[in-house]
Amino acid sequence: MADEKGLQGWAPVISGDMTIERVIDLAFDYRGNTTIVKSDGTEVVGYIFNRNKGVAEPFIQIFDEKGNGPFTLLISQIQAIRFTGKDMAAGNSYAAYMERKQRQKETGIAEPLNALEEEA
Amino acid sequence: MSVPASQMWTVASYVLRQRLTRKKQYPLVLMLEPLFKCNLACAGCGKIQYPAQVLKKNMLLEKALAAMDECGAPMISIAGGEPLLYPQIGELVEGLVERRKYIYLCTNALVLKEKLEQHIFKPSKYFSFSVHMDGIREDHDESVCRDGTYDIATEAIREAIKRGFRVTTNTTLFNTAQPLNVREFFDEMMDLGVEAMMLSPGYSYAKAPDQQHFLHKGETNKLFSEILLNPKKNWKFNQSPLFLQFLMGKQDYECTPWGMPLYNNFGWQRPCYLLQEGYAETYKELLETTPWEQYGKKSGNPKCADCMVHSGYEATAVNATFASFKGFKDTVAATIRGKP
Repeated sequence: MADEKGLQGWAPVISGDMTIERVIDLAFDYRGNTTIVKSDGTEVVGYIFNRNKGVAEPFIQIFDEKGNGPFTLLISQIQAIRFTGKDMAAGNSYAAYMERKQRQKETGIAEPLNALEEEA
Repeated sequence: MSVPASQMWTVASYVLRQRLTRKKQYPLVLMLEPLFKCNLACAGCGKIQYPAQVLKKNMLLEKALAAMDECGAPMISIAGGEPLLYPQIGELVEGLVERRKYIYLCTNALVLKEKLEQHIFKPSKYFSFSVHMDGIREDHDESVCRDGTYDIATEAIREAIKRGFRVTTNTTLFNTAQPLNVREFFDEMMDLGVEAMMLSPGYSYAKAPDQQHFLHKGETNKLFSEILLNPKKNWKFNQSPLFLQFLMGKQDYECTPWGMPLYNNFGWQRPCYLLQEGYAETYKELLETTPWEQYGKKSGNPKCADCMVHSGYEATAVNATFASFKGFKDTVAATIRGKP
């Protein structure tokens, strides 16, 4: 299994301790898009911003990759989740910031602040 | 301590009303994040690390105003992201002023001057810019990870004051803060003419880039005791004196996580402004379905152990003022002597 700092690109296999509930917790904490595989085999890509396991029908909520939503998916209808999008909280350590600052000082070129600037 | 009398009266009468009706959980300040997009990427901030489609989302104005109407708090703090990048910020503030809510618009002020020139806002006793200033020039620029921001922000503050706006500051301190520098910073802000300052220790957001510089409880007490020892007469803070005493270690409080609830594009955040453990659709649902016993110092939750942030404890301090004669006496005494 990938550790929590390196979930990007991970496609966990649901078995043993790696339950779908565990993967959902990791995906909820993940600051990137994921690909959710539903029981019927269809897939949806988006950002999981909410999960509620304490209700009669536990669910997650997502905004899809175009920003539409929120869409609610029942956990009982999710087969797997893959961590397919870039983790926007990774690679942002203070050390990385200091290195970036030094690079910018040397090159005079500003680096992207966030996903929007990266996209642009 | 400096809060306009009308605001003090509004808040005091609101809290007393809640207490007289024996309401145990009530909001004091709505924290509203109408967007996550920001024009800075501060090392201590864990609020903006999202994929592009999330950063592009702007809250519908109607939803923002409905959140205010639903929770009913007397004050609102508009945060983000950078709220001045929210396309309907003018309409939002106008709608809140119409509702006679006391508004703090938290901004890094990078585009404030430009917005002032566009006449988007009108001065009002209900409306204050709360400019993010983390210290003297060198410390602030380091904290927000961009050189030149202190100068831009101070120029914008001068312009806003000149145009008749209320301007306050909000300052987050980390374990790199030097008490003498912070005191010098207070002098600078008072000289600029800001109405009052708000202070808070940083919270160790799990997603913040800089995890090394968050304060632990003992460090917070030591730092704030040194900073606020013999405060100058002209320093004004727009915070409960009991909260400042709490930061100095003179008061021991428990967190009031529902006191400053957060509403953003995901919904009402559980359990508080800082921890992100899920969302409720309504404030009522937030109150009724969040397992509050799992949060706060007493719960033993490690995520709460070192937190002394205003969003959890300012409401406790305000409540303490009205909960006992001693609380009221301590608040009045600190206000009169101008010393927490």
